[in-house]
Amino acid sequence: MPEITVDALVKTFGDQRALDHVDFTVRDGELFTLLGPSGCGKSTTLMSIAGFQQPEEGRIGVGEETVFDAARRIALPAERRNLGIVFQSYAVWPHMTVYENLAFPLKVRRLKRAEIRARIAETLELVEMTPYEKRYPHELSGGQQQRVALARALVYSPAVLLLDEPFSNLDAKLRIRARSWVKDLQHRLGLTTIFVTHDQDEALSMSDRVAVMSAGEIQQIGTPEDVYQRPANRFVAEFVGRVNLIEGVVAGVDGGQAVLEVDSGRRLTVRAAEGARVSDRVTVVVRPEAMTLLATGDTSVNGTNTWDADVHAAAFLGDHYEYELEAGSVQLIAQSPRRVDGPRIRVHIPGDACSVVE
Amino acid sequence: MATTSYPSPAELPRPRPSIVPASLLQWLTWALVVTLVLGPFLPLAYASIRDRPLYEAGGTFTLEPYRELFGDRAFWQAWWNTLQFAALTTTMAVALGAAVAILCTRTDLPGRRALSKLVLLPLLLPSLGMVLGWIAVWGEGGYVTSFFNQRLHIGVPAIDTIFGMALVEATRLMPIAFLTCQAALVRADSSLEDAARSAGASPLRVLRSITIPMLRPALLNAATLIFTLSIAVLGIPLLLGVPNNIQFVSSYLYTLWTNASSPDPGVVSAGAMFLLAAATLLLLIRNRLLGAEARFVSVGGKASRIALLSLRTWRWPLAAAITLYLVFTTLLPILGLALMSFVVFLTPLIAPWDLLTWSHWQMLDDGVFRNSIRNSLIIAVVGAVLATAFVALATLVAHRSTFRLRGSLPFMMLYPRAVPGIIIGIGFFWAFLLTGALGDWFRNSIWGIMLAFCIRNLPLAYIVMYPTLARIGEELDRAGRAAGAGWWTTSRRIVLPLLRPAMFAAFILLFVELLNDYDPAVFLVKPGTEVMGATMLSQFIQGAVGPVAALAMVQVAVTVVVLAIGAKVFKISTTGGHDA
Repeated sequence: MPEITVDALVKTFGDQRALDHVDFTVRDGELFTLLGPSGCGKSTTLMSIAGFQQPEEGRIGVGEETVFDAARRIALPAERRNLGIVFQSYAVWPHMTVYENLAFPLKVRRLKRAEIRARIAETLELVEMTPYEKRYPHELSGGQQQRVALARALVYSPAVLLLDEPFSNLDAKLRIRARSWVKDLQHRLGLTTIFVTHDQDEALSMSDRVAVMSAGEIQQIGTPEDVYQRPANRFVAEFVGRVNLIEGVVAGVDGGQAVLEVDSGRRLTVRAAEGARVSDRVTVVVRPEAMTLLATGDTSVNGTNTWDADVHAAAFLGDHYEYELEAGSVQLIAQSPRRVDGPRIRVHIPGDACSVVE
Repeated sequence: MATTSYPSPAELPRPRPSIVPASLLQWLTWALVVTLVLGPFLPLAYASIRDRPLYEAGGTFTLEPYRELFGDRAFWQAWWNTLQFAALTTTMAVALGAAVAILCTRTDLPGRRALSKLVLLPLLLPSLGMVLGWIAVWGEGGYVTSFFNQRLHIGVPAIDTIFGMALVEATRLMPIAFLTCQAALVRADSSLEDAARSAGASPLRVLRSITIPMLRPALLNAATLIFTLSIAVLGIPLLLGVPNNIQFVSSYLYTLWTNASSPDPGVVSAGAMFLLAAATLLLLIRNRLLGAEARFVSVGGKASRIALLSLRTWRWPLAAAITLYLVFTTLLPILGLALMSFVVFLTPLIAPWDLLTWSHWQMLDDGVFRNSIRNSLIIAVVGAVLATAFVALATLVAHRSTFRLRGSLPFMMLYPRAVPGIIIGIGFFWAFLLTGALGDWFRNSIWGIMLAFCIRNLPLAYIVMYPTLARIGEELDRAGRAAGAGWWTTSRRIVLPLLRPAMFAAFILLFVELLNDYDPAVFLVKPGTEVMGATMLSQFIQGAVGPVAALAMVQVAVTVVVLAIGAKVFKISTTGGHDA
């Protein structure tokens, strides 16, 4: 399976930049996710790779082959890029049976009847849809249509697989099942895959690597853990999961550690960002579930980064409790697996769970 | 499971690009649309600035035709008449169409579903035949007129005045306003009206403050279209106005053409250019007023959820009023036409059974009448098939391709709708004259007339097909492209099969329109190439009323049967749109 290289794509709609020098490389066999809010350029990127949109600048390569290069005026039409794609609407052709849907790309490639039959049988088995061969799309459920769409994208052994928000039309339970099923299939086939979604849970649970996009630019590329635990900037931190933002001034730098003055009486010791200097204003990101909540008298955790806080609201959410806290001038949201009583509690913010962003 | 059996991509051949590149096909389609739609107007413009007919040798450029035209007081009188007529027609048709549309979609009017289909009929029935029917029952000495005048002593407006002619035309064009308003009402979110009611407004207040203001774009849209169509109408002034010495622009040009001492005078071309400019201006104004989206109203969609306004005691009287309207404007004229075709002459003074005769119908089996029926049927079938296929292809190029000039196609395909039929006729007349052997072949066969009819009715097929195409998700063809099929294969195997219902609807509508169309043909007919509409016009002017009525009955019968079949196979009456 080839790797995909996307080089400095630029695309404008009217006077709006949809893509602003988008660069990334998808490694062989990897599931690579483009994550971002609607209008961030993720779908435009995918459609540019598929050949349905033409960027003004940049280059797209699939393996050895250049499928698009603005400078050299190369733009292979979509039908000659040999990519498999699953659309948000599935786009299963309603006037063809499941079998005919799968046969279409093979007929276009002029395969012999017997070979078409064999390949379809094999692919339908792969997606566990063999009994539905003769059905029309309207006789299938949403989840089944999705499997047909996937089978149709796989049946001709495309070089890469592109998934455009394929789960957004499924209901919540089915979506989680489909996720792990698709991930498993992708892994077994070793297919280089680009996946577009606005759902952070999907992105985190399925991807080998995630590219977070906003306003036509890539904000961060990294493993799901990287993106979640070490967000590169405020946007990534806020978009991927819930987050507390704590602002402070660097009071001292000592080795790998920096001490921030958050307000009078509250200090926070975190890993120092590179080039951090005294009296810089910085923002610290910390996830609600990374904090530890303690009863007022509990001293099981040492005093560094432990503040007293007032409880404003508490909610029971089944598998955890969620608290809205106020520690001096700082508002915090914290999660705890255990219930902590009292109008006043202690909150511990582990220094290595904090990341400093611009 | 097939963990290792997944074949590597190298095993499959790449799809081969098709032999004929898609761009060639797209270029050809575009070029053909441009040639056929704009082609006829170039020789027309040329003819209007030459000092002698184009087929005569020599000749120089001159503005004499325009000078002559603008110096003729009758020309300006004709314009004044036409504008009065068009304004009256538009006002009546829009007011009535909007009222019926509101009643049928937003109230609990009894029978509103059936009524909303029946009110469309006048638009689809042969217009020339209907004018004859009107004359039979509403004309001076017509059945209904004399009943009202002599029995009830109630005056009835004479239909050979400008107001009377506007009344006749308004009943024909009212469905356009109805369709446009109905589409707007169905699309409009009725929760807007619910919100106003919750806020304490009475149903009538809601109608006045919410519903009608929401309709404003639709009303404007319908008004400009109806105005454009009514300045071009030929049958009404020829059959009703001219006998009463009222000329419209169209009849003025027609009379000039047929009565000219030297054939094909430049002054007619000049007049046609002037009319064309006016119609084009109206189309441009209309495009400006409307967003691109609103121009392609798709009728149908979700059925209106609620009967907002309860009519209470007015329910039945209003339903009866609409029914009576249909009886007096559609049913009675058809019955009058039928009666006219079976009696020696039509008069309320003698009982019709004393005058019964088969002779009018027998005449249809002969000569010019027989030719006309045969030619019209051939034109309707062949033309509808060809035009449907062609428009489907052009619509795909316009909306589902990356062809560079695709943006010009929608305007091009809607343009003929704004062009008066007689101008298309004169334009093709000159175009055929100037294109040598090919033109001669068109000119001397029925195919020339078919071509002119087809071009005139292209917009109809386009406005039926476009909304359906817009509803076919673009991801469906993208999936085809990604699977390795080129533009043409994707179109043929995926998009066109899904477009089939709309293509069928377009075929039915085109068939009906091509069967009944007449005004482009009056300049093109020759002995042997007669079509029904043109024959009716010329025979009526010569006084052969009975056979003309019989011929009109043939048109009505075929139209009704074909529409009924169409409605049965596909719900054409709710998707057919005369609204662009």
